[in-house]
Amino acid sequence: MVSQVSTQLVLAAKAGPELPSVDDFLPDPILFQGTPFAINRIILIRIVATIVLLLVMCITAKRAKLVPGRWQGLIETLLEFVRDNIVYQVMGEERGRRYVPMITTLFFTIFVFNLCGIIPGMNMAATATVTMPLVFALWTFVQYWIAACREKGFLQYLRGELMPPGVPLPIDIILGPINLLEALIIRPFSLTVRLFANMIAGHLLVATCLAFTQFYLIEASNWAVKPVGVLWLLGGFAFVCFEMFVAALQAYVFSILSTVYINQSYPEVE
Amino acid sequence: MDIITLAEVAGNISVLGYGVAAIGPGIGMGILVGKALESTARQPEVAGRIQTLMFIGLALIELLGLLGFVAFVMTM
Amino acid sequence: MPLAEKNGIALFLPETYDIVWSLVILVVIAVCFYKYIMPKFQAVFDARAAKIEGRMEQAEKAQKDADEAKKKYEDQLSQARVEASKIRDDARAEASHIIADARSRAESDAAQITENAQRSIESQQKQALVSLKGEVGTLATALAGKILGSELSSSATQTQMLDKMIDEMDADSNK
Repeated sequence: MVSQVSTQLVLAAKAGPELPSVDDFLPDPILFQGTPFAINRIILIRIVATIVLLLVMCITAKRAKLVPGRWQGLIETLLEFVRDNIVYQVMGEERGRRYVPMITTLFFTIFVFNLCGIIPGMNMAATATVTMPLVFALWTFVQYWIAACREKGFLQYLRGELMPPGVPLPIDIILGPINLLEALIIRPFSLTVRLFANMIAGHLLVATCLAFTQFYLIEASNWAVKPVGVLWLLGGFAFVCFEMFVAALQAYVFSILSTVYINQSYPEVE
Repeated sequence: MDIITLAEVAGNISVLGYGVAAIGPGIGMGILVGKALESTARQPEVAGRIQTLMFIGLALIELLGLLGFVAFVMTM
Repeated sequence: MPLAEKNGIALFLPETYDIVWSLVILVVIAVCFYKYIMPKFQAVFDARAAKIEGRMEQAEKAQKDADEAKKKYEDQLSQARVEASKIRDDARAEASHIIADARSRAESDAAQITENAQRSIESQQKQALVSLKGEVGTLATALAGKILGSELSSSATQTQMLDKMIDEMDADSNK
């Protein structure tokens, strides 16, 4: 369970628990070193997760029947949740139809990649390097700029962002740049950081709990500290469950924020 | 260990920084969820909409806390 | 725990190969979702909706058919009823017609018969009168002879009587 902290095994010896560090998120490449196609541990996890996700989804889609079985029912519930509770709820059915595949892709990919963080043997979320969330965020970024250019026109959109209607000029001088900054940088940056930092925090929490469990329960020779190890183990359980929740919540939050950002590129209705 | 560093605090000061950074978002999140519950109790028929908005706000607040965390991780 | 400041910041600096692989993976997943998985599930959803809708439509159609059949049947029934009453009326009219016809024919027959009878009675009467006239003459002569024979005693009376009788006979024959 603590293979991700084993890199320090030699260095740390028996001095203390092998606590996780940022090195866990920067593993050395293990294949094709030095080329743009180098593969490290996290990328390997990502590839495996991708293959599993696509296989499961394609097989489910291929076997999809009119009367769903239990598994198909579960997948369909998720698909309908994304469609109805995320996209249609925010954008309405008319506009939302175009974005259902995109948001569904985002939701499923992020959910599965996040879950890798608690799957034994992987122990690292596939979204736990800054790049993967950044790529997702850039996709959203491109989509809402395209939507803005299509629906309002590029200049019109810029005007609306720089000079929001109904705002007096002095405030506009401050508000305009902030608005532009938000559309250009803060939105993709916040999406990236939220997902990435959540995954780092989750991994650090679980790995810390399990490292202390290992240290007190197994490595410690003193019997008196064994109950402390049990406590750490219980904490590990709790955080693994919490990570499952966070995996789903972050997928939901990322999807719904993407939808909201895209929706803000559309002119107001109602 | 000499007399001056008697009460040595080992570790990184940025941990404290993160703790401070988490105060504001914590308060904000409490207010947000409380208000969301209040409005749901007042108007149960728009519970779905309120929940969606609550999660959007939650995500924005969460970012503030996470910025503190990022600052902490950067010095790790 | 090594305090490697470089590492913490390095977390937020994407590596080239990381970007490459992230893009590749995202594109692969997106293509699969866009091209295969979503259309497939959408087709299943649509088919299911269509099936449910189709069932409802079918039921509606059956209901409509039944309504139509019922209406047709009722129409036929009412039509038949109208026809029957018409036939009955016709029959009644014809019957009354026939009766009237028969009655008029019977009446004319009766009138003819009556007329015939009247005529034959009249002719017989005439005949009887003619024969009676003849017989009355002889009878009167005979009677007169008899009366004459017995009552010629008073000559005045006899003469008067005789005159009177002759007058009467004259009057009778002249009549």
